[in-house]
Amino acid sequence: MVRVTMQLLIQTIIDGLLVGGLYVAISIGFSLAFGVLDVVDFAVGEWVMLGAFMGVASRAWFGIDPIAFLPAVFVIFALIGFLVAPLIYRVRTSRYARPALMALAFTFGIAMFARGTMMTAVGFDPRTVDTDLVSGTLMIGGLHLPWLRLAGFLFAILSTALFMGFLFFTRTGLAVRATAQNKRNASLMGIDVKRLSAIVYAIYAGMTAMAGVLIGTIYSFTAQVGPEYSLLAFFVVVMAGLGSVGGVLVAGLFLGMLQALVTVYIGADYTLAIVFGVLFLILLVSPQGVLRRGLAA
Amino acid sequence: MRAGGANSARLTARSVIPLVVVVVFLATLPLWVDDYWVRVWTGVAMWAGLAASWNIIGGYAGYISFGHVAFFGIGAYATAILMQPGLDWNFFLTLPVGAVVAGVFAFIVGWPTLRLRGAYFAIATWALAEALAQLVNTVDFTGGSFGLSTPGNAETGFFYYAMLIASALIYLIIFAVFERSRFGYKVKAVRDNEAAAQSLGINTTSVKLQAFVMSAALPAVLGGINAYWITFINPQSVLAGDITDQMVVMALVGGLGHLWGPAIGATVLYLSSTWLNAHFGSSTGYIAMIGALLALIVLFLPDGLVGLMPRARNMRLVRQMLRLPDRRADPGPDPDTSRERS
Amino acid sequence: MSALAVSDLKRSFGGIKAVAGVSFDVGVKEIVGIIGPNGSGKSTLFNLLSGTIPPSSGTIRLLDKDVTHQPAYRIARQGLGRTFQIPTPFINMTVRENLLAAAVEGEWRSARSRAEEVLAALEISHIADDLASTLSGGQQRLLEFGRVQMRDPQIILLDEVTAGVNPRLRQIILGRVRDLQERGKTFLVIEHDMELVRTICERIIVMDAGEIVFEGTFEEVARNERVVDAYLGRPET
Repeated sequence: MVRVTMQLLIQTIIDGLLVGGLYVAISIGFSLAFGVLDVVDFAVGEWVMLGAFMGVASRAWFGIDPIAFLPAVFVIFALIGFLVAPLIYRVRTSRYARPALMALAFTFGIAMFARGTMMTAVGFDPRTVDTDLVSGTLMIGGLHLPWLRLAGFLFAILSTALFMGFLFFTRTGLAVRATAQNKRNASLMGIDVKRLSAIVYAIYAGMTAMAGVLIGTIYSFTAQVGPEYSLLAFFVVVMAGLGSVGGVLVAGLFLGMLQALVTVYIGADYTLAIVFGVLFLILLVSPQGVLRRGLAA
Repeated sequence: MRAGGANSARLTARSVIPLVVVVVFLATLPLWVDDYWVRVWTGVAMWAGLAASWNIIGGYAGYISFGHVAFFGIGAYATAILMQPGLDWNFFLTLPVGAVVAGVFAFIVGWPTLRLRGAYFAIATWALAEALAQLVNTVDFTGGSFGLSTPGNAETGFFYYAMLIASALIYLIIFAVFERSRFGYKVKAVRDNEAAAQSLGINTTSVKLQAFVMSAALPAVLGGINAYWITFINPQSVLAGDITDQMVVMALVGGLGHLWGPAIGATVLYLSSTWLNAHFGSSTGYIAMIGALLALIVLFLPDGLVGLMPRARNMRLVRQMLRLPDRRADPGPDPDTSRERS
Repeated sequence: MSALAVSDLKRSFGGIKAVAGVSFDVGVKEIVGIIGPNGSGKSTLFNLLSGTIPPSSGTIRLLDKDVTHQPAYRIARQGLGRTFQIPTPFINMTVRENLLAAAVEGEWRSARSRAEEVLAALEISHIADDLASTLSGGQQRLLEFGRVQMRDPQIILLDEVTAGVNPRLRQIILGRVRDLQERGKTFLVIEHDMELVRTICERIIVMDAGEIVFEGTFEEVARNERVVDAYLGRPET
């Protein structure tokens, strides 16, 4: 009896961690775009949704397996992001009163546009992304580890590592970090903040869309799932604290675990209510992020 | 974004005449249009009231609330629950109850959340509304995801006038409080510069909280009327995020922080959505449309549609198109107070 | 009775002592100037006095009442008014509305007529209906100065209120300050303009590195070598 409960607990935690990896992948670029553009992008969940549909399309339209199509997904959405970013930048730096709130409203409009368009185009039927490249389940000591989830987790770790490599070992990465900390100083040092914002936003959109494909292989989705993933990304970034890459890692895994534990031990119906409730509490206790001090990257 | 100051709200002959025309039009509407159009205009009245209520916290106080549907839903559930068989409350008596519950709820959550700035406040209110919707979905006394029915009432005209009068009262309250009393100055001062407002003796925490509570209590009344009107409510219909979306978009499209902005935005958008529904039979296209419209308004017309009115105080759009220099762009000291009169 | 009595006021940010134990008194109807190099703690001192930021330790007495650790709005209601070094106009309001907004916690009935009076006195009646966001830097400073008068405070803190303002406007501000002094108001003034300090300040407090290094009349200050080294000898910024 004790063994069974222990096994369930371990399985639940591992399931949570595996999903948490994907939350890290959708939040890490988002966190940085937030830092550099100084705008909370309310469209983050829509990039996940659009990416997932691109996964469906790759198979249906081009006959390419979605996993093999991931690099193309990155390029396509990076391009879109590169085109959208200057508009956000323009609103954010405009001389109108309260540009921060207007920029918020702007990304909100983009999100609604994306959602409405996709709802009109594909309707309300739930979809999944089908792949043949990854299948089966790995069994270790009675634990079930579906290869798809492992692959998703691996992707998340890999892209996070690449992203951190970019941030810490390239010149552009240094400029990004400088800008995220202090925009005025960055521009005084000769950094083209506008161009940099576009680059960061492009990478972020591309990464998030790729994560969307992988999420689509695990969970079914409709054109309406965007806001839910937006809130999950907010959760991670709020908990991590603005601009903290290490914090995103911990917060993303924590969120995955929290969700899995609540689903198993309290009930799936309460998952979102509890996640949103916890997010609300985190905001109240520490709007700067609870992990910021300990893990500031 | 501009404040609807004393200027825009001053009752002159020029503004009284259109007002009288609108009032007569709305008051006599059921006499000369069919049921379908009465229902459409009931919707217009409701959304105008909702967007105007949202405008209190979003436009006048400068806090973007993405969770306002919670207050609408609280009102709806208050009415529906109190009218259940066994309780059988009178419909009109349920409305103030909903408003009070929503107001108390706003007071409790507003006190900590209003310390949060900008996007964090938006996220917190959104999370709260989503959590509430999930909770209502699972507990019993709200009927869970199945929802609740209210006693049927088929009189279209009754709901039209109920909604119209409620929204008109909301408008009157907003006009009196924000355009005609010193409380309006306090709220706008806090919005524009909190530190300066404090240095002038304004208790900013209390002012923000009062505005938030007002902004929450008013939509609850409309939620209650709506629950009675549509005779059946569930979390998908009265706690859905897109209700908040519409309040935000209508206020922004009409003109944030302007008295008439929300009414204009609500009328234009609700009529367009009705038109789209009638001609294409889908409401999803509407979401795409208002999303695109919102983005375009923010980019090109931040003052909203009221910014197009001939007497708009500062013609920002025109200035922008003509690339007129903005004085604030030049941080250096100005040698003189005289300025070119435009 | 003293208008303002400060004793051993301290405030540090991280490890930096922005204000490191400052004590002084200001009598009613006095005009006291505060000078010192940039970063000497002048603006932090103002923020402490007005309650914009709380002190680490020490006491502040305003008109013989202890106001230490009170929130800014309470201190304001007890008779302290201030301007900010960086002007803080309510940018979505017109100039006139800015003045009215400043009177909401004071006498409201006469607010409109007093606003007209202030507009006229500062010679900004012609821009009364312009949005504050369209004003120049100098005009914003005038507005800042106008706003503080709307509440009729007993003690007024002016933070570089004439910086970037042309000579004629400076005269208007000076005249207004003297006027208000006649009517019993007390002033504490941060200024970089020595000529102005000499003309209006009866007493001068010199700050450096968060401490008061000298107190006296302008002539005494000008004769003091330490002050000249610390401040006057440096090139004007």
